[in-house]
Amino acid sequence: MRPDRPGEGPALLLGEVRTGLLQHSVELPGAATEKMLGLRHGERVRSSQRPNVRAQSPDLLTGVDCPLATTSHRAVRGVGTVLSHAVLTEGRVLQASALARIAAGGDRRRPWGHYLAHPGTVEVIGRGEAAELAAGHLAAAEPGTGLDLGGLTERLLTEVQREAGLDRRAPFRSRRTRLRWTAVRADLAGEEPGGRLTVEDDTLRTLRLTLESVDPVEVAAFCEDLALHDWLLSTLGRLIERSGLGSDPGPGPVQRLRPAVNHLMHLWMPGARVARPLAPLWEGLETRPGFTRQWTASVQRVRDHLALQAVGLTAPTVRGD
Amino acid sequence: MDTTFREVSADPRTASVPLSHLSLEIGHLYMDDFMAGPERLREQFAQVKPWVDAARAACPVPAGRRPRISTCFLIDDYFTRFSTPAEVVPQIVAEAEACGLTVDYLARESACAEADGRRPARLVEARLVESPPPGTNGSRPPATATGWLSNGERTPADDLDEAMGAAGGGWRPPRETEAGRHSVFLDVELWDTRHGGRTWSCPYLAAVWQLLRLGLLRDRGQEVFPPAPRPDTLPDSWDALPPLVRLNPAADPFAAYRTFSVLARRFLPIEHAVTVLLEQWAPEEPVLHALAERARQEGVPLPDALTGRIGYLFHGQP
Repeated sequence: MRPDRPGEGPALLLGEVRTGLLQHSVELPGAATEKMLGLRHGERVRSSQRPNVRAQSPDLLTGVDCPLATTSHRAVRGVGTVLSHAVLTEGRVLQASALARIAAGGDRRRPWGHYLAHPGTVEVIGRGEAAELAAGHLAAAEPGTGLDLGGLTERLLTEVQREAGLDRRAPFRSRRTRLRWTAVRADLAGEEPGGRLTVEDDTLRTLRLTLESVDPVEVAAFCEDLALHDWLLSTLGRLIERSGLGSDPGPGPVQRLRPAVNHLMHLWMPGARVARPLAPLWEGLETRPGFTRQWTASVQRVRDHLALQAVGLTAPTVRGD
Repeated sequence: MDTTFREVSADPRTASVPLSHLSLEIGHLYMDDFMAGPERLREQFAQVKPWVDAARAACPVPAGRRPRISTCFLIDDYFTRFSTPAEVVPQIVAEAEACGLTVDYLARESACAEADGRRPARLVEARLVESPPPGTNGSRPPATATGWLSNGERTPADDLDEAMGAAGGGWRPPRETEAGRHSVFLDVELWDTRHGGRTWSCPYLAAVWQLLRLGLLRDRGQEVFPPAPRPDTLPDSWDALPPLVRLNPAADPFAAYRTFSVLARRFLPIEHAVTVLLEQWAPEEPVLHALAERARQEGVPLPDALTGRIGYLFHGQP
């Protein structure tokens, strides 16, 4: 792998974000959020109120020394630390995000202090091209011996919720989603800047970004924002599907859609905290497939249904048929 | 038109601390030393003096600059309580002076655990990042929960039964992760909970002490113990003495780019443990960067690895 030269910025980032509903019956208030996300004594939980309430834990570091997946199945060893943190949005949606900046290393492992002086960086021992490592990360099957950011984020989500004294009575059922992502510097990939989001299955999405410059903080924030909105979209879709809207003429769907109205519908705010250089990526996703278009259509459908129920129109019409 | 918006609570902030070039530890007082009387103290200072002079002369400072060097002295009031500040502090100052040494700062070891609502030991614990033996891929939880930290892979516990069955054939030796040809494996006890609460080990507190001297600890972005001026009257209880006292009003700053400790040989295992611990301690990035930047501006060489900033001399007497 070509070394990061001073002033050139990182060549490659690997990351994963897990997103899920906080297992608690009500929105978590500020003080409890501080306690839940205060994962490191002596460090602040970073919080902001505009344009929505978001709190982020201090960064944690985890040491790794393991093979990195490549598409060519060539053995590449990575040594260093992975950064991770937890994010809570509007006291409701909990995310765990892990990130490793991949850099060139020597031909052997160096003293551990060297890696601690470069937190969040995993150095490649041996040869490994950025594009090849990115592809390997996205293609990685379930955790084996390779870098396991999925396992790390899963454990973080579970630990954060366990320590916080939550009542574990979530207002509705939902699934955790995973966004596995990579960001490669465009000049190394030999491509124009852009992104490719793939819905792999019900819960797994992969995102491959090619960027002019790869800022770890900005890219991770973008991926967390994308994961949050993808989860909202999937979760609202599943709630509508389960509610029986469109098939059950009675008041059932209204009852079943209430959690969506109470807990989800105000959370849509794509791109709110995305750095300017990355804003075009969101714009791209808004054009195709059109995240907001789908969200607006779903929300409108729920609202129309509620309105019809309120004036008592739906049931008689159906019965009249 | 371009507008910007910022929320202060969303930004991390970190205070910088005044820095010397070198923090020179000239002694460490335990109850036994104190019980042996002032002669013992004088003997120790006399023994330390030539090495302190050597350390001053060896302090790396750009040509033409005055080296900023502060001295410090640590009192063990954590594991045993003895005498009072009113009695001990003037004695230390006088005996040091008699040997041609000045004690700039005096610290209490118990403050490395907790004092004035600050818990430096917890700050250090929060940033321990274990050095991963090969094969660590992020899926296992960290093992610091046990209160033990090693510099490698322990002999696996499940192998013991096998070893019995196979007449010792299944036993695997421990291995130091960064060993050369052979291992020097060390497993350090960080704390125990025998007396209800957590009692930190001596090497652990010594590591905290090194980090305080290196200016690397922050509590929510703030300096942990800003040095307090010497009280007009020294108190009769250690708890009433500030955690870190500036005895010499003209002293250079307490924290420094590098530390040097002149210690008796019996401290060697403890300081080996300190090394194992600090090699697995991740500093706050902004603090680390600020230090590196200031060192660069001053033209002072500063090693990346923290343990490279720590120097020792072990002398052969008690």
